[in-house]
Amino acid sequence: MPTTPPQISPVEDQEKYLQDALGVVKAQAFHMKRALDKNKLMDALKNASAMLAELRTSLLSPKSYYELYMAITDELRHLELYLLDEFQKGRKVTDLYELVQYAGNIVPRLYLLITVGLVYIKTNYALRRDLLKDLVEMCRGVQHPLRGLFLRNYLLQCTRNVLPDAADTDVDTPEGTVKDSVDFVLMNFAEMNKLWVRMQHQGHSRERQHREREREELKILVGTNLVRLSQLESVTLEKYQKLVLPGILEQVVSCRDAIAQEYLMECIIQVFPDEFHIKTLNPFLKSCAELEAGVNVKNIVISLMERLASFSQRADTQGGEGATILQQVQLFEVFSDQVASIITTRQYLPPEDMIALQVALVNLALKCYPDRIDYIDKVMLTSVEVFQRLGLEHLESSSLVSKELQKLLKIPLDNYNNLLIILKLKHYAGLMQHLDYTGRKLLSIYILNNALDNETVIPTQEETEQALNLLSPLVNDKEEQPLGEVDLEELAEEQCLLARFIHQLRSNVADDQYLILTAARKILGGGGPQRMKYTLPPLLFQAYLLAYKYKELKDEKWEKKCQKIFQFCHSTITALVKAELAELPLRLFLQGALAIDQIGFENHETVAYEFMSQAFSLYEDEISDSKAQLAAITLIVGTLEQISCFSEENSDPLRTQCALAASKLLKKPDQCRGVATCSHLFWSGKSLASNREETHDGKRVVECLKKGLRIAKQCMDVSVQVQLFVELLNHYIYFFEKGNDQVSVQILNQVIGKIKEELPNLENSDETEQITKHFNNTLEHLRSRLETPDADGVSYEGLEV
Amino acid sequence: MSFFGFGQSAEIEIYLDGQESRKTAEVKTEDGKKERLLLYYDGETVSGKVNISLKKPGSKLEHQGIKIEFIGQIEMFYDRGNHHEFISLVKELARPGDMIAHTSYPFEFSCVEKPFEVYTGANVRLRYYLKVTIIRRLADIVKELDIAVHTLSSYPEMNNSIKMEVGIEDCLHIEFEYNKSKYHLKDVIVGKIYFLLVRIKIKHMEIAIIKKETTGTGPNTFTENETIAKYEIMDGAPVRGESIPIRVFLAGYELTPTMRDINKKFSVRYFLNLVLMDTEDRRYFKQQEITLWRKVRKPNLQSPAILAGTQTLENTAPQEDDQEKTEPAQKEDFLRAPNSQSNDKLNASDPFDQRISSPTESPPESQIQNMTREAGDGQNDPENTE
Repeated sequence: MPTTPPQISPVEDQEKYLQDALGVVKAQAFHMKRALDKNKLMDALKNASAMLAELRTSLLSPKSYYELYMAITDELRHLELYLLDEFQKGRKVTDLYELVQYAGNIVPRLYLLITVGLVYIKTNYALRRDLLKDLVEMCRGVQHPLRGLFLRNYLLQCTRNVLPDAADTDVDTPEGTVKDSVDFVLMNFAEMNKLWVRMQHQGHSRERQHREREREELKILVGTNLVRLSQLESVTLEKYQKLVLPGILEQVVSCRDAIAQEYLMECIIQVFPDEFHIKTLNPFLKSCAELEAGVNVKNIVISLMERLASFSQRADTQGGEGATILQQVQLFEVFSDQVASIITTRQYLPPEDMIALQVALVNLALKCYPDRIDYIDKVMLTSVEVFQRLGLEHLESSSLVSKELQKLLKIPLDNYNNLLIILKLKHYAGLMQHLDYTGRKLLSIYILNNALDNETVIPTQEETEQALNLLSPLVNDKEEQPLGEVDLEELAEEQCLLARFIHQLRSNVADDQYLILTAARKILGGGGPQRMKYTLPPLLFQAYLLAYKYKELKDEKWEKKCQKIFQFCHSTITALVKAELAELPLRLFLQGALAIDQIGFENHETVAYEFMSQAFSLYEDEISDSKAQLAAITLIVGTLEQISCFSEENSDPLRTQCALAASKLLKKPDQCRGVATCSHLFWSGKSLASNREETHDGKRVVECLKKGLRIAKQCMDVSVQVQLFVELLNHYIYFFEKGNDQVSVQILNQVIGKIKEELPNLENSDETEQITKHFNNTLEHLRSRLETPDADGVSYEGLEV
Repeated sequence: MSFFGFGQSAEIEIYLDGQESRKTAEVKTEDGKKERLLLYYDGETVSGKVNISLKKPGSKLEHQGIKIEFIGQIEMFYDRGNHHEFISLVKELARPGDMIAHTSYPFEFSCVEKPFEVYTGANVRLRYYLKVTIIRRLADIVKELDIAVHTLSSYPEMNNSIKMEVGIEDCLHIEFEYNKSKYHLKDVIVGKIYFLLVRIKIKHMEIAIIKKETTGTGPNTFTENETIAKYEIMDGAPVRGESIPIRVFLAGYELTPTMRDINKKFSVRYFLNLVLMDTEDRRYFKQQEITLWRKVRKPNLQSPAILAGTQTLENTAPQEDDQEKTEPAQKEDFLRAPNSQSNDKLNASDPFDQRISSPTESPPESQIQNMTREAGDGQNDPENTE
């Protein structure tokens, strides 16, 4: 026998060896066919044997060997067809099965034996069972992995159409039943798998990668066995459960080879029908738990879950048998239990894989049982337990396990798009706690965005509390928060989201809404000044809205309730004040005062006064910037002008206070403008004294405007002076047109004259142009009034434009 | 026979009764050729006619008598002068006188004992022949006719399997089993090798059938080993727990029954040699003697029609049990030993396993024997250079 080098030759030689071998094959095949033509079977067998002897080589890589194998088996077909033909013509060659066994070398011998055996089977089914048994047993003689794999592959290929596929009977049938086929294929499978696994342990360890690549190329040969099993029609569910699957799994588990286990488990999932999988989940998943450490069990289980989930969806839409099966089998429970046991038995499973399994479970639950939230909760609980057992806390947000966990937590959200359902999950928040601060914050933002995008309304106090607690990384400061500067821009962005969300805390029932607001207030109050600035205002506006609502409802205690609401508002705004904010609470007080005025509940005047006075004191104590002061006073005046609920006793001091405050502004132009604004208080401002009508106190209006003129004249800058004049002129015109008898055409003329006098002295500049334009527009208005006087309007007669 | 070209000469023809229908057997001649001879068995009568035809009709042939002998003899090739006749029977066909015309003499050796089988080996030959001699004064006219003789045995009463655990310590342990110790010539050796320990890289394994011919006695003993067959039964390296089937059809090889101490002149014995070869071409082997015997033929049941199509294959195909041919040896397939700890779990459910519980007759405590490892790297092993 030729001595064969143990190593497979280098790549460059492969082609040469292959070509040599193919040359021999071609020549021998030619002689074989010639001998067959002449009916010289013995010669043909000799040629065939010589041709097959090429398959004894150790020089070829799996790829080249495959090529050679294909060429040879192709030629063997001629022999097979010839024999079949002879046999069918009745020219049966006796002892052929024995004859071919005289071949001295085992590889050619077994190929011939298989070829001949097939012919026997095809021509006489009575031999089938025994021959199949014999063939698969005899193939044990080839223990060389590569040669053995191909030999057995040939066996499998040859027998693919002749495997007995009849249901079992009690009668002993030489034709065989499906059980014989199963035994046959299982045996072949086991042997092939052993050979395949053995490849891993041959040769030098430094060639491991190379070997694994080669094994990868060959895996399909092993997998074909499973395909064949799946093609047997008489393999019923019962047979699959009792015979096929246990046989496969036993081999898979006992081979203790990670590559094989991973591939074969995947194979099982892919080749057998879903109905079978559903009924055999337990044994399958149990085996998963027993696989080697290196096996990616996660992928296997997940792939099965995904398959079954889509099966379930198909079954739901189509109904029929699939749906019935699904009802019988508690898919989720089974998976859940088995995943749990996989996690407990496989200690070395990385935590991210454990969580990935949970992710898959959730997906399964969502696809198969969309209305079973408890399933999802159960997964969450299991995950919490997993973390507790592993002692994992504060998972770093960049770690794999954290990413998986985030995924797990996002799935129900993405699926239901409903924060309320998330809140129903008891263990969601607990599970979220296992993320670190950054992770939790990111997830919170995700949740928030989801709620905002879907406009999820939170209708109860309880849920509000839950939601805000869930979002606590955004709501509160955390101990574990990274130290150092807070990125204000980022904070603003987050808090704006939260603020938007607060608008979605609303119940149709007013009393509930109140509870919601107080609850939210309590929680949001803990957020510190930086957050309150964003989160409290929406709360206040919600509160004002609620008050309006009570006004509409007018239930028994509505006035008390409103009072309570405003107390709530007051304290909330005060909280903002305490947070050393000024302008914001000022505005909120004013807004509150407006609301109070409009709602007009019992005792509202006092409350409104309190709000106004708070605004004033804020103005006085906290606002120092002159521009801000002007803006504030303008706001206060505007608000006061709108409010009608004050009695003279309250309104007078307020108005006076406004005028006073305006005249006390630091800069002259500001004073001038402030005072001018105040003038409106005395005209269109309302109070109880005037029966909630406009006051129309013309005298005081004019006083104010005159004061404004006086102040304007004190301005050093002429252009400012002129600008103020123009503005004042507009005020005058306004009041004139409103019918204030204290304003006369004469006064208008005076002001106009004054402006005209000063205007030309101004230097040319953008400002001047603007002032001129303003003035001209004003004059234009007056001219048009002069030309087309309103029927019932005041007369502009004598106006000098 | 007329050396001087004159005088009468005659041709002798030996005709055996029923020779047209008698079976023949192939027998090797001394020079290695094969000839077909009429086949007789022990105790069978050998009868026929001797026809003597004169070459010159009309003139007479003078003779001192005509006889026919039946001789069984053993020839040693290294001692050509001495033939050991273990049978010698003589019949006188004619008394001395003159022969004038063609004459025919019937003869009969009734119920001749033929204790041994014809055999042609490396150093020895055992033959049976008829010898007709026309005795003359100057040169006898002689005619010899060889016949073939087969010895038949009935099924041996004791036919244990051969089962043995052998190995080289910490290196290789195997358990092998052949289903019988005595095989008839058309038999099938069925067996298996079970690997208990494999620490060497085995390349392949084969079974060889070795014939040992021993001639002579005492210091003049010659032993000739001949490898009749080499049969690869495994390719590649097995791992612990593998079990490799053996199935060798004997019909295809040139085998004779085992002959022990034939007439105190020679023996022919057969051995099965199990050889394992490792990747460095070292050979590990274990020889076991088997006894071969010739089985009584059953009438051939096969229909002539099928036979006609397979004539070219006849020589290598066994003649008996034809009705079972298509499923050879299935029923004889070997079972795993009860003590074998196979990790081949798939087989655990094999229905065959139940049959294991009735262990073969071999002693349960099969002794461990050492295998033989050949020295050297095997490079120069003539058997490897094939």
